[in-house]
Amino acid sequence: MIDGPPPGAATRNVTASNEDERALIEAAQADPARFLEVYDRYIDRVFAYVSRRAGSRTVAEDITSEVFQQALSNLPRFEWRGVPFTAWLYRMAANAVADHWRRQGRESQEAPPDLPDERMHEELERRISLFQLVERLPDLQRRVIEMRFVEEKSVRDVAATLDRTEGAVKQLQLRALENLRKGMGLHG
Amino acid sequence: MADELIDRLDGAIDAVVARRDATVALRDPELAPLVRIAADLRHYPSADFKTRLRAQLARRLTMSTAVLTNIREGFTAVTPYLWVPDRGLSDFLIRVFDAVETRVAEGGRHGTHRELRLGNSMLMLSEGPRSEIVSGRSMALHVFVDDVDAVYAKALAAGAESLGEPADRPYGERAGFIKDAFGNHWYIASPLGPESLGHALRTVTPFLHSRDVRGYIDFLVRAFGASEEVVHKLPGGVIPYARARVGDAAIELGTADPMPGALCLYVADPDMVYEQAIAAGAKALSPAVDQPSGVRMAFVEDALGNQWYITRPARR
Repeated sequence: MIDGPPPGAATRNVTASNEDERALIEAAQADPARFLEVYDRYIDRVFAYVSRRAGSRTVAEDITSEVFQQALSNLPRFEWRGVPFTAWLYRMAANAVADHWRRQGRESQEAPPDLPDERMHEELERRISLFQLVERLPDLQRRVIEMRFVEEKSVRDVAATLDRTEGAVKQLQLRALENLRKGMGLHG
Repeated sequence: MADELIDRLDGAIDAVVARRDATVALRDPELAPLVRIAADLRHYPSADFKTRLRAQLARRLTMSTAVLTNIREGFTAVTPYLWVPDRGLSDFLIRVFDAVETRVAEGGRHGTHRELRLGNSMLMLSEGPRSEIVSGRSMALHVFVDDVDAVYAKALAAGAESLGEPADRPYGERAGFIKDAFGNHWYIASPLGPESLGHALRTVTPFLHSRDVRGYIDFLVRAFGASEEVVHKLPGGVIPYARARVGDAAIELGTADPMPGALCLYVADPDMVYEQAIAAGAKALSPAVDQPSGVRMAFVEDALGNQWYITRPARR
């Protein structure tokens, strides 16, 4: 028989995570210096959410910055009403994305912008797990991933930067993605 | 075979990164799981970006709660701001307290702005119509002079009303009280003896009245990061006198009916202090806005009715 989690364990984990989140937010409200812990905890989620709606990485970075600057200003006024703190952040992010498109003179096709529903939450959480796996890749594989996806460099440029052949870079790229796929498989 | 997969994958990654159509690759059972991972990696945040934004936030955090000092010579973090209909108050202060006008800016939307130096303190006056957002009222100020009796006599001669003749007070001051023609109260004092509280104060200190001094100090602490300096409590719990400090500025408090005025508070981050003040119970009057003069100001009103002009000075 395969050992599984005891019944109700998932619910208890979610509750513990909510309590943990609440303790952190309340601590940051009492001592603004702890906002950096809030930032560390949510930056990947907010970026992943914004990035999906922004036209480019530069725009996603600008909007994400705006969201955290606003969150820092408005945190003293955040009231705990039983909804997760992330919902508050995503709401700010959704508004910032909509404002961006308005400023660009392009109304969002699906205005108002979507807040994450359950399916999107799962998608965001899957991405966060993936990002954590990237950070645990062997150094060279991680650098290839960063250069290809973050810096959007061609294989030729990556090869030149790392002083490898293009074939070696493609090999590293494949191995990195396979490692990530295996890791994600373990994440279910 | 393996080489072929490597090249197909690379082509698919190029398409994903360029946000081109990658459906062909997604139909390929061997490639599809890797391409899905690749599509997610497009949203992987850059480490440089994360470090940069974290540093910006950290910098803002060290600045945000900072109340500014040494704004300009004589200015402290909190400067009283009096609204009057004409130049009568300025003349009164020059005549009675030997105040010196250090700045006059005429023709503004809200009349004339004046800055006056009294000893080592500054006062700001606005003469003319009141702003649609803010409207300071008369307030109480504690002012130290060398000769209480002489200044008190000059004040009455200049038209002030007596609220209390000069006398040696049990709290270590010789003090006389007057009300000027605009309703401001002036507690004219000089320290008596080395223990006098007056030694801790500059020439002018705003004296705020509250029926809940304790609660008001708590507000100052939460809203503006004030520190509590002195709290005199009577056996029944009444606080006849207390003093808090905001940056380098003292604020005195006494139990009495509120007599709200206006105070300019200099901070590094008016947006954040505005939010803190509201979270601490202040009423929003206006969020931070850049003014034509280059200063950035937000406005709130506290529970006593005092209006706070939360100001970041113009960058030079």
